[in-house]
Amino acid sequence: MTEPRLEAPRHTAARSALDPWPGEVTWRPVSPRLVALELTRVSISTAIMLAVCGVIWAFTGSSWALVAAVAVLVLTVVRGVVAVRAARSYGYAERERDLLVRHGRMVRHLSIVPYARMQYVDVVAGPLERSFGLATVQLHTAAAASDATIPGLEPAEAARLRDRLAALGEDAGEGL
Amino acid sequence: MPAAVERPQAIARQRLHPLSPVLKSVRTLFLVVAAVSWRGLQNLGPDLYALVLLGLLVLVLLYSAVAWRFTGYEVVGRELRIHEGVLFRRTRAVPLERLQAIEVVQPVLARLAGLAELKLDVAGSGKAEAPLAFLPLAEADVLRTRLLALASRTSAATAETAPAATEPDAAQPEQADLYRVDNNEVMVSQFLTPPVMFTPLAILYIIGQLAFNSDFGVFAVASMVTAVAGTIGAPVMRILNFWNFRIGRAADERLRIRHGLLETRSQVVAPQRIQSLTVTWPLLWRGKGWLRVTLAVAGQSSVNADGRQSRAETDRLLPVATVDTARALVPLALPGLDINALPLSPVPHRARWLAPLRRRVLAAGLTEHAFATVDGLTTRQLTVVPYARIQSVRVTEGPWQRRLGLATVYVDVAGATPAAAVHRPLAEAFAWADDLTTRARAARAEV
Repeated sequence: MTEPRLEAPRHTAARSALDPWPGEVTWRPVSPRLVALELTRVSISTAIMLAVCGVIWAFTGSSWALVAAVAVLVLTVVRGVVAVRAARSYGYAERERDLLVRHGRMVRHLSIVPYARMQYVDVVAGPLERSFGLATVQLHTAAAASDATIPGLEPAEAARLRDRLAALGEDAGEGL
Repeated sequence: MPAAVERPQAIARQRLHPLSPVLKSVRTLFLVVAAVSWRGLQNLGPDLYALVLLGLLVLVLLYSAVAWRFTGYEVVGRELRIHEGVLFRRTRAVPLERLQAIEVVQPVLARLAGLAELKLDVAGSGKAEAPLAFLPLAEADVLRTRLLALASRTSAATAETAPAATEPDAAQPEQADLYRVDNNEVMVSQFLTPPVMFTPLAILYIIGQLAFNSDFGVFAVASMVTAVAGTIGAPVMRILNFWNFRIGRAADERLRIRHGLLETRSQVVAPQRIQSLTVTWPLLWRGKGWLRVTLAVAGQSSVNADGRQSRAETDRLLPVATVDTARALVPLALPGLDINALPLSPVPHRARWLAPLRRRVLAAGLTEHAFATVDGLTTRQLTVVPYARIQSVRVTEGPWQRRLGLATVYVDVAGATPAAAVHRPLAEAFAWADDLTTRARAARAEV
């Protein structure tokens, strides 16, 4: 039951959580539109906060509202950078027996979910995601803490992944 | 789909005990009686009052009789069906292959009537669901054995349909208990908990306030008394719950755990249903050299997804024990596990920047059959997850960890908080993640 390509890199130094087994795993990126989606999300929340600041300023004339608006703008820049880096960091790899999902720049995450442990696969697409033509695939195992969410997939790719995962899960599945 | 069509009824439909609707509605009955008694006795006069009570009683009995006719359970093919309800008829189907453990519970009132309730722990549901209440105790025990036998048969995925009448386990005499926890130790251990230790101080404070501070109002005193009662409440409930704690063997290598003073619980757990095992050394117990051992059984989690404690504590393998006892009894749950001789390795010295004190405690390692981690400075905790029970593996690397070349390995299990090996060297973390997935796969293939 050993997978030859798993054996080789076991004791070589790994570089980071985003590429633990260099050269061994072919990572697939998510759609570049995810960056635009994340930026849109940030700008929407910025617009709302700025509107609140504006309303406060209009009614009270307090200069603190302007200070808050500047703070919001600074925050937006930071959040935008973080969101872009986070969105770019997503990647997944379908290995023979498990799915790898990596994400995060500051805190780097790598999840290894065996197909045999999958309980169900969700494809979720919110209104904003749909307008960008993207979908999110979520894998669920019996453990609540399992974290395998792949956002920013093209609908076709999401459907392909879901079907493939469901098929693999059925082949190997034994639940608990 | 191997449909349940051609499968015969393994257990024909049977009714629950006639008293069950009464017992279930007894709380509402008390409330109604109390509500009527409040002004009723004065307004109605004793005769009329008695008549009203009698009428209520007749109503309840009538309702119970009707409700009883609809109650029932049966096993059809691969599922247990529980019928309930009068107005809102409910039939709950429990797939037997997902049955993790069955608990026989006797609440105080039911115990007086010699009845018991079956609590079925089903994988995938956050809490123990589908209570089967109430049955005579003997019948409950027999039914549990038969259901577990059916469950292991369906999960073996064989189409054999042995006649239910020739259940070998049902007739098998009960085996003697392997271990019995000393009630005194249960009591002392529960008093050695922070809330109880600080209670005398709180009481002294109240008395002091009463004696010297005339402004101290009645309400303040009352609220403090309730607070004290609240803190005392949990340990007292635990003492009642863990009283007469006995561990024994049931059929098929299963564990039988029984405990309780007022409400008795009897649980049968198959070792292959145990998702993880936790040994805890609370700070205040260290003088005594005590520890407690808890089990995570899927479906019967005492920890929610958000990590908070819920439900009565029914997850104990040992509520209090010495290391030697634990060493002797833990292998019953996870064979071949010696909690004193685990190949654990400490974290590197550089982890001191992130965990200056905890660094000495943190350790983790891969044993022959399980992954083990130790954490916790004051309340030390050893978590063991058998490879076969691993759901998924995660590695995270925070910004400070990255600077130091460290990472945390999480092993996710069903119905329990993940086992985390904190601050491992990066290369080791990935080697472990790899190793864990490989070993988990091998262990699953064995089962």
